[in-house]
Amino acid sequence: MTADERMTKRNAPYDLCDIRIRDASDKELEDISSALSLGLSLDEMKAVKDYFVKEGREATDVELQSLGQAWSEHCCYKSSKPVLKEFVFGIDREDVLSRGDAGVMVFDDDYGYALRVESHNHPSAIEPYGGAATGIGGIVRDVICMGAQPIGLADPLCFGYPDRKGEMPQGIKHPRYLMSGVVSGIRDYGNRIGIPTITGGFFFDESYTGNCLVNVCCLGIVKRKDLLNNFASAPGEVMILFGGRTGRDGIHGVNFASKDITATSEDDSRGAVQLGDPITKEPVIHACLELAQKHLVTGMKDLGGGGLSCVVGEMAIEKGFGADVDLEKVPLKETGLAPWEIWVSESQERMMCTCKPENVDKVMAIFDLWDIIATPVAVTTDTGRTRLFWNGEKIFDMDIEFLTGGPVYNRPYTMPKVSTKADERFPELPALSEVILKLLSDPNVASKEWAIRQYDHEVRAGTVLRPIVGKLNKGGPGDASVLMPVPGRWKGLAAAVGCNPWFTKANPYRGGMASLDEAFRNVVAVGARPNAFTDCLNFGNPEKPERLGEFREAVHGIGDFAKELNIPIPSGNVSLYNEAPGGVHILPTPMIVCCGLIDDVRKAVSADFKKTGSLLFLVGRTADEMGGSLLFRKFGGEGGEVPATDVKRLKDSSDRLLKAMDEGLVLSCHDCSDGGLAVAVAEMCISGDVGAELDLSAMDCPNDNVKLFAESTSRWIAEVDGKDVTRFTEIMGDAATPIGLTKGNALVIKGTDVEIPVEVMRAAWNDPIWNIMGGGAQ
Amino acid sequence: MKAEDVRVCVVRIEGTNCEDEMANAFEMVGAKSEKVHLKQLLGQCDPSLKRSLEDYDILAFPGGFSAGDYVRAGAIFASRIKAGIGKDIRDFVDAGKPVLGVCNGFQILVELGLLPALDGTMSEEPTAALYNNDSGRFECRPSILRNDNRSKCVFTCDIPKGELLYCPSAHGEGKLMSNIPNFVSKLEENDQVVFRYVTPDGGRATYPWNPNGSPGDIAGICNPAGNVMGMMPHPERVMTAYTMDDWTRGHRSEDGDGKRIFTSVMKYLSKK
Amino acid sequence: MTVIDIRIELKKGVADPEGTNTKKTLESLGFKGIQSVKSVKMFEIELDMPEKEALAAGEEYCKKLLANPVVQSYKVTLK
Repeated sequence: MTADERMTKRNAPYDLCDIRIRDASDKELEDISSALSLGLSLDEMKAVKDYFVKEGREATDVELQSLGQAWSEHCCYKSSKPVLKEFVFGIDREDVLSRGDAGVMVFDDDYGYALRVESHNHPSAIEPYGGAATGIGGIVRDVICMGAQPIGLADPLCFGYPDRKGEMPQGIKHPRYLMSGVVSGIRDYGNRIGIPTITGGFFFDESYTGNCLVNVCCLGIVKRKDLLNNFASAPGEVMILFGGRTGRDGIHGVNFASKDITATSEDDSRGAVQLGDPITKEPVIHACLELAQKHLVTGMKDLGGGGLSCVVGEMAIEKGFGADVDLEKVPLKETGLAPWEIWVSESQERMMCTCKPENVDKVMAIFDLWDIIATPVAVTTDTGRTRLFWNGEKIFDMDIEFLTGGPVYNRPYTMPKVSTKADERFPELPALSEVILKLLSDPNVASKEWAIRQYDHEVRAGTVLRPIVGKLNKGGPGDASVLMPVPGRWKGLAAAVGCNPWFTKANPYRGGMASLDEAFRNVVAVGARPNAFTDCLNFGNPEKPERLGEFREAVHGIGDFAKELNIPIPSGNVSLYNEAPGGVHILPTPMIVCCGLIDDVRKAVSADFKKTGSLLFLVGRTADEMGGSLLFRKFGGEGGEVPATDVKRLKDSSDRLLKAMDEGLVLSCHDCSDGGLAVAVAEMCISGDVGAELDLSAMDCPNDNVKLFAESTSRWIAEVDGKDVTRFTEIMGDAATPIGLTKGNALVIKGTDVEIPVEVMRAAWNDPIWNIMGGGAQ
Repeated sequence: MKAEDVRVCVVRIEGTNCEDEMANAFEMVGAKSEKVHLKQLLGQCDPSLKRSLEDYDILAFPGGFSAGDYVRAGAIFASRIKAGIGKDIRDFVDAGKPVLGVCNGFQILVELGLLPALDGTMSEEPTAALYNNDSGRFECRPSILRNDNRSKCVFTCDIPKGELLYCPSAHGEGKLMSNIPNFVSKLEENDQVVFRYVTPDGGRATYPWNPNGSPGDIAGICNPAGNVMGMMPHPERVMTAYTMDDWTRGHRSEDGDGKRIFTSVMKYLSKK
Repeated sequence: MTVIDIRIELKKGVADPEGTNTKKTLESLGFKGIQSVKSVKMFEIELDMPEKEALAAGEEYCKKLLANPVVQSYKVTLK
């Protein structure tokens, strides 16, 4: 029997099919999954069939579509959950206030801060502007759902080289086009809702050409007494759907995100990509915060992947309740939607809240002032089942445990082969000055001002340190950005991104650690104490054992690092199946955001050299670890040891450095990352408009190349005034090594012929992306 | 008038997004501010929420993207005001009460015809426009402003002429244009120029110091009476030194430069 | 029902950064022979009135909201 023959249109004034599933053969089950685009495997379809056999009836299309959503990788993490459980779950600290849609940590006695990062990769690869914009919309909703005021966005992005030459593979858009569209989408959405985009990152590699990564992070601040749950608190509560209307946009979005991109994706998947509406969102923020502050709702949740089908079950089941839904009440964008389409639609800007029946009128009045469409659509029950009705006729009746439980897979994996010193091939290098300038002009290092200046990074008037620091309109790269989230309080929240996909490719375990280390040291560099991580794990197809092996080992490294430091990861996101047509998979990309706290923002430290005549120190140890380094990538080196992270040493040296900063002994500080010590010092010269004279003889390293370009983790450059050197070295012990002083207006390295004027370095660093992307005043 | 008696109406619609910091800025200089939705002034709300403009002493239009900046920045907000409470606004201005518009708020004042209003209080049609930056991009960057107002503007009455202030810009449409002949010199003659973009040493600004290409490097203007001021950069974002871009490189006081504008208008009201 | 098109464009001599940037970008993608790119804005409005009244109404919409006379000109036509 064909799939078509198994479907009978119900004789009703709405569009519903009954599907004969109980006697379907394996082949027929597969046909049904494919005909309805459910994205369910044979084993999953068999479980579905068994369920309906037990229920003693056939299925409706609404029920099968709902399962297709709930059991997708995107919704139930069926491949990644066992790995996460094994390595990263369970870092419990008492200052974790919530692990809901966003994580929430203690900020001070009265406030908590919310954090979460997630991916919006596949939609952005198809339609970069709308994909990125809706990505921001989604992550902001996750923060609002906690009752938190969004206060900052961070957007790490990965593209192919924007100046890529040559033919583009079929169905793939040029990286420059994607980058331009994504940045515009973030700009228009973030700026319009008035949330500053405070940090981010750009990572360029050929492997991202066919599958760009758009990760979006949002931070929020919430009074601890107003913190919201994401679920109903009792049976009999009213579920109110609010925000945007429901349309056909975004149908099957989660199944799309859980598949590789194919050459025909663009045509197939238009429906999965949506346009965001920041002007619906902005009033929604006001209304939600008012509801939270007035304690009028019991729970709030965003409609993300799977739309209503996921949110209703999840809000009901958390405390073991059920829900009865009147589906015909859902406000629509267009007429003629079938019930299953309404149930799984992923139209943007929609949220759900639960409230006590006696508060419904008060809640609706607040929505009304802000002109927000809001409709009571469901009631929680004590049945443990979700039931859907269309004008009173039941069209859906399922056990929520079964529906949201989802399958879990322990898929096979292979341990990745790692890069070592034994297989190192050191590249031939031009003169050192040229090497430094080439590294500064690599797109991965070069100024991202083209993008940063398009983002409003100081709306809300709380931005203390920005992504560009130093002399006005002549600045250089900062480390973490720092916000002052509560007006009138000097306490600060720092946030920074860290990720090294090249290390992770060459040695996933060390790369995972190094990514956390980078985010951690960025936060320390501004004088803040790292407090929590959130992560977005972008990896390849988990059904391929090599890809799953990379994922496992990277997560292993992340878990070991976070556990050793006892820093919680209260939220996170996994994005798998990041592969382009032809099976080109992305670099394994564990994107990390670290948040830190600083008691008094007036003590924050920026990365720009402040004056001539200060002494420079390298904090941390440098080893012969060239694997995955920018130097090797730029000049064709191969193999090499990937930087290992000694977490105990990191803890010790960062504690000392923070103490020195707290005592006001550090004039400027910058972490060493891509391009090593040489690039870090050059950047500090650029942002401070001050030269430096380096003497690296005190460094314990085999040669100058390692001293200058190795990317060993857990390292910073610190500028210290001569009068404070005694006290500084007393605090730092052997964690700091003197490496020279600030001087003149050129970078000079003793014992080499390096003498590069700051202006020359600035041009090398500043111009490349501007030149590629165009712009500037006419 | 005592500072604590000064009531500020920070008016907003959907898409206005700088109202929190604008309200805070006035609170920081001792005034009482209230964030009021335009619907509350128009009476399109629960009676308990209704507000009347005449109960306030200062009216502030904060920045943002009111109504999504659709049609034109500020145009939709302005026409809703004009249609609903146009007369109330005119009376407010005629009574000499201060009106401040920042960024999108400046765009709204221009669309309303309250600025430049060379010949009176409020022109029937807009006589100026805040148009796309020359760069064609949204520009979020530091600006240095020079107070060029000789005496008229109530928002700079406590700032010596020629003084430089740090004030961040963040806009895509800030180029002040007009079809009035000799527009800039007319503003000059009327003492309606308030702030100009300059370089950090006070010199003539080119891009990026003038972030939008405004003729005459104009960043802010006032009406002929001096009680309505609009400016593109955001003084409410720099009420403390620690939100100024380069504060880690040294700063002259704990207060931010933007606070001077708010203390000025409070000083003006204290004499009333 | 009458449908009118309202075309808002920049007055002569007003710089058009959107057009200029679009031209640059198209050229950077390798397209040749582009003389100029001008950005215009269109509104399509459905009205329940006769054509003559609709055209007059369109003019009013432009004056009251859709165009700023300082930088923009407009044209109202029947669709």
